[in-house]
Amino acid sequence: MPNVKTTGKKSSNTLVRDLVNVGIFAALYFVLAFASSSIGYIPALIIFSTGSISLVTSIPLFLFFLKIDRPIFCCLLFSSFFGCVMLMMGQSLLMLPIFVTVGVLTGFCLKILHKSFWGLFSANVSMSLLSSSMMLPLWLSTEEYLAYASGMSDEGYVAKMAELANSYWPLVAIFAFGILGAVVGSFIARRVMKKHFERIGLA
Amino acid sequence: MKLDPRTKLFLVAAANTMIFSVPYAYSMPMVAAVLVLLLLEKKWKFMSVFFPVYAIAALCFDYLKQLDSGMIGTLLAATVLLICRMMPVGVVFYYIMATTKANEFMAGMSKMHVPNKVTIPLTVMIRFFPTVFDESRAISTAMKMRGIRLFSLHTLKNPLTILEYRLIPLLVSITKIGDELSVAASTRALAPDTRRTCIVPIGFHVQDAVVFVYCIAVIAFVVVSHI
Amino acid sequence: MKITLKDVSFSYTDSIDDAILKDVNLQIESGECVVLAGESGSGKTTISKLINGLIPLYQSGTMAGDVFLGDKNTSDMTLAEISKYVGSVFQNPRSQFFNIDTDSEIAFGCENLGIEPEEIRRRIEKTVEDFHLESLLGRNIFHLSGGEKQKIACASVNATDPDIFVLDEPSANLDLKTVDDLAEIIKLWKSRGKTVVVVEHRLHYLRDIADRIIYVKEGRIECEWTPAELEAKGPDYAASLGLRSIKLVQLGGTGVSPAAQRDESITFRNLRFAYQKKFPILDIPELSLPKGKITALLGHNGAGKSTLAQLVCSLRGSWSQKRAARRLGTYLIMQDVNHQLFTESVLDEVLLGMNPKDESAALEILDSLNLKDYVEKHPMALSGGQKQRVAIASGVSSNRNLIVFDEPTSGLDYRQMLAVSATLKALAKRGKTLFVITHDPELVLNCCHHVIRMDHGRIVEEYSL
Repeated sequence: MPNVKTTGKKSSNTLVRDLVNVGIFAALYFVLAFASSSIGYIPALIIFSTGSISLVTSIPLFLFFLKIDRPIFCCLLFSSFFGCVMLMMGQSLLMLPIFVTVGVLTGFCLKILHKSFWGLFSANVSMSLLSSSMMLPLWLSTEEYLAYASGMSDEGYVAKMAELANSYWPLVAIFAFGILGAVVGSFIARRVMKKHFERIGLA
Repeated sequence: MKLDPRTKLFLVAAANTMIFSVPYAYSMPMVAAVLVLLLLEKKWKFMSVFFPVYAIAALCFDYLKQLDSGMIGTLLAATVLLICRMMPVGVVFYYIMATTKANEFMAGMSKMHVPNKVTIPLTVMIRFFPTVFDESRAISTAMKMRGIRLFSLHTLKNPLTILEYRLIPLLVSITKIGDELSVAASTRALAPDTRRTCIVPIGFHVQDAVVFVYCIAVIAFVVVSHI
Repeated sequence: MKITLKDVSFSYTDSIDDAILKDVNLQIESGECVVLAGESGSGKTTISKLINGLIPLYQSGTMAGDVFLGDKNTSDMTLAEISKYVGSVFQNPRSQFFNIDTDSEIAFGCENLGIEPEEIRRRIEKTVEDFHLESLLGRNIFHLSGGEKQKIACASVNATDPDIFVLDEPSANLDLKTVDDLAEIIKLWKSRGKTVVVVEHRLHYLRDIADRIIYVKEGRIECEWTPAELEAKGPDYAASLGLRSIKLVQLGGTGVSPAAQRDESITFRNLRFAYQKKFPILDIPELSLPKGKITALLGHNGAGKSTLAQLVCSLRGSWSQKRAARRLGTYLIMQDVNHQLFTESVLDEVLLGMNPKDESAALEILDSLNLKDYVEKHPMALSGGQKQRVAIASGVSSNRNLIVFDEPTSGLDYRQMLAVSATLKALAKRGKTLFVITHDPELVLNCCHHVIRMDHGRIVEEYSL
């Protein structure tokens, strides 16, 4: 057949689709991350809260990664929105470069490994660093963060936090649980993608 | 009374810094400022719910903070304190959401030379929070009618099913709405590289100056009293 | 502005062999009003996407041939450029709003085009006057009915003043009164020399407006008529092609109240609801639905029909109202059935509401609803009508006696409407009592036994058919 062409190619016309997707998935991510981080209000469970966030947000993140055409740009926007909101919530400026790095790293994972399972997997693990690093200031600038936390919570909780800050192991645990949550979440997400979204035709 | 969107952004930043990073009492002047602004907008209904709850929580705050009574006590304290902490944040965001239109926000951002590529997703994100809650409410209604309970023998056996039942219908409808929204927006000339105009005039007025001066004064007072 | 489609084929996949449109040639003259009709999946919506530029600029797929607006090829333009000439209104009023308030939404397209604020304000004023939208200004879109939203969507494209209007099933979620308003809007556009392309199943409201009705079948333009020609061929001819009747079906009752001849019925008492005491949304002292029969509930958007459905299904109301409703065992089939499908297969969906060991009973229910071949499929991967039947099956399996339907035929073509009607009849035969909220007179004539009409929260009329 003459002059057959592929339509809907990358252009400023399809950029709007990516931009809207960043917006809706960011909104969804905030709601889910906030809901699933709530287990951290029980002091004994603080270090698990990052795991629960990355577990629950794996499925929407997989869908987000599959839907975007410009991984680096979109992931960067996504993570810096998170950074800006955290900044607005009174977190320290230190977080912004971390969030930018996480965004670019996630984008590169998708760019290099494409949208294969391992690409999505590594992007998801990398994105989990986003929520895990929210606790980072507790170790990097302990006193400031404790002052911040004492405004947020009761003394027992702050004491627990101070106890955590004494050693670096809890920090390692927080990141480890965040990554573990993302790893487990990725395998669940792969199953859910196969079981639901591929059959529906949305992925 | 109308504030410039840029003033509102400054107000959010200032209010949230006050609310989160210093002793609790310092958040009061900012909350008071936002409440005054809400009164000027005649949001009586919101105020009549917000004010009593906030006042009671604030009164309990200091008492609960000293309470040291084991696991349940801590949990209870944490919940009340969370309400107490989040409510000022909630009131600030409510004020912004209730009084800022999407086009005003976009115009304000472009005045600050933020490119459309950043403003569009940011606007969509803000606009989508109510949609996420709306859809999620519709799904929980359907679950209730179906008799699917979050905690039952079936879900205890497979805890992942809760996640599936809640999350998958939500994701399906949200992605569909998102796709249709971006189609509708694209056919109405929303593009990352064009210059938008805005029918709402944007600019600084006396009220903006008052808000700026007030915020800076509060911050200055807090900083000075800390030194 | 003239629209020309030249030898256009399009496929949503990588290969042109799966084309949904095959070698379509179509010319629409400036100032014409053309209706694209045909069954679901015939490719008529794809033609509308070719005209507003979504194909080839946005939708990914494979295309052959060219589309010209005037003498410009759409593949050389951008969507923002095309939107100066073509304004689009879509089917789902819920998802086409970028703003949260109506004023900004009307201005949205103009603002994107960079038109001066003064000029935009002038255009909005004119649009509001032409479309009689005064009461809708300054409202939150989450508080608008579907019909009101669709009017705002029309107003928004009207303000950008394009030469061509493309409407994709604009009436799918509207009641008859709002459809009349929509017809007025299209008439106004036509009188101003605009080109209007409407993709639609419901033809009656376009009878006096359309110049041509183009029938699309399996990706090809099969034939075309003027409305008068189609009407002359009679309703049976249209029905055989899967088209909705071009003449508006008139409902007329026998005048006998169903209460007079009823032997057994499900009765609800004290169905009252109000957000504020002074303004009751619903005020019905008694509602009786004959057992094993199909009762239709008619009324305009905003008459309180949906609130009634929610009360009847114990989704709203006081604690005692809910308890009474729950005892009677009711089930609601929502308009957006996507919200009420939870599992990974049709069979699981039905088993969810019953004893999991009762697989044979579940299969029997699915068989009776013609879903036997889809047992292993994912419910959300099915077509709209099939999804709806899955939702019905789950209602039947949970042993509810009264099944309430909220607009079961919105946006369906004639054949699909008949299928829904057959399903309803089969359910009634099983002894279920059905309560159908609808705007669709053809559905009512086809299967309903009784009609209740509501206005302003009250029952104003009851009759048997």
